[in-house]
Amino acid sequence: MAAPADVIPRRPTLLLIVVLSLLFVLMSFSTRTRYIGETRTLFERTVMTIFSPVPKLVHWIGGTTSDMYHGYLDMRRAVAENTYLRNTLAALTTENLKLRQSEGDLRRLRGLLGYSEQFTMQTSLAHVLMLDTSTRFKSLIIDRGTNAGLEVNDVIVNANGLIGRVVLTTKDMAKVQLITDSNAAAGALIERTRRQGVVRGDGASGAQMYDVPSLADVQPGDAVLTAGIDGIYPKGIPVGTVVKAEKGQDLFKSIIVRPAVDFGMIEEVIVIHTRKIPGDVVRYAP
Amino acid sequence: MRWLRYIIGLLIALTLHTLLDSFFPNALAFFNPYVILVVYYSMGGNVLGAIIAGVIAGFVQDAFSGAIFGLHAFSLTVCAYAVAYINSRLSLRGTWAFGACLAGAVIINELVIYILVNILLKQRIEMFEQGLLVKTIFTLLFGMLVYQLLTLFLREEPIEATKRSAGW
Repeated sequence: MAAPADVIPRRPTLLLIVVLSLLFVLMSFSTRTRYIGETRTLFERTVMTIFSPVPKLVHWIGGTTSDMYHGYLDMRRAVAENTYLRNTLAALTTENLKLRQSEGDLRRLRGLLGYSEQFTMQTSLAHVLMLDTSTRFKSLIIDRGTNAGLEVNDVIVNANGLIGRVVLTTKDMAKVQLITDSNAAAGALIERTRRQGVVRGDGASGAQMYDVPSLADVQPGDAVLTAGIDGIYPKGIPVGTVVKAEKGQDLFKSIIVRPAVDFGMIEEVIVIHTRKIPGDVVRYAP
Repeated sequence: MRWLRYIIGLLIALTLHTLLDSFFPNALAFFNPYVILVVYYSMGGNVLGAIIAGVIAGFVQDAFSGAIFGLHAFSLTVCAYAVAYINSRLSLRGTWAFGACLAGAVIINELVIYILVNILLKQRIEMFEQGLLVKTIFTLLFGMLVYQLLTLFLREEPIEATKRSAGW
């Protein structure tokens, strides 16, 4: 029974020779195919296909790890960049707000300046310190007074139109009666027809135009300007727009005027130093 | 079980191959993980199994390298046979014995490749002696380290796991 033990060791040697011979043939074939450009035999492709998941997996793991690492680095960079950009955004937003405010101020002041240039009379700018439109007596207080040359009856306007007149002055402040005050009145005319009348405040947020005959042509939408006949307000200042015009109880029309100025949005005003009519002239009666 | 270990070892060798190719493209000129695997398996003294292991490992190495297909299969088969044959007679055990077998296998492997390339391609491998020396040293060091780790991990002589209970 020793034969199997003798035979067994020989078989691998024989197998080795066979295997090496086959491998040599395979190599020869591979060597020949290398010269005709086909470097991968079917057998080689099969081996590659069988074991290809390993390199793919390694590449996937390597790529994922690399991506995670770089992703982490990118994330840290992005966080730092995000913080920087947020700070920059905050600074730019603040700057933008300032610029918007400046632009608004500039536009408004340009409007005021352009408007003030319409008048040949001396003008000055003033800021509104207080505004009281809650009561029947509508007034505002500005930061200019007699030191700035303000006098009683100086006219206060802005880019949109008539605001009122100065009724009280101190050295550095003045009180202005708004045109909507129930005691305020101004000579006015309808721009389209030049029909004159008197605008008085209604004590609320509007005004009414009086002394316009019933037959006068007045339509809603007509612009109302100062007439320059009252000795206070210069001619041509927009007062408002006719909202309603209808026949009144007597010979005059009932006309409701919406002021040209939004009194809730007044910040700066123009003071028109009007040429006063001397008291003697007013009082003189032949 | 031993073939499962071999397959796992082969996958690890291929993983190392891929990693080295990816990050250190010339590293395989100085280090050969397939030889370590084949020597480790062949030291069980199973000659037939060693031949099969050498052929398979060589094919895998050939498939994922630019060599002539069959070149490494041939060389590794020769190595595997030699190591298995010696161990079937002497039954070498221990890290140093493994290192000696590994060093011999690397040298045989490189010599066989050198000869085959000369015969088949009629080319001469540049700086063969230096390459052989470096590859032997690095492969030896890495192989012995792996062997030590396996000894610690398996809590037994690693080669015993590659032995067949009976027959060849």
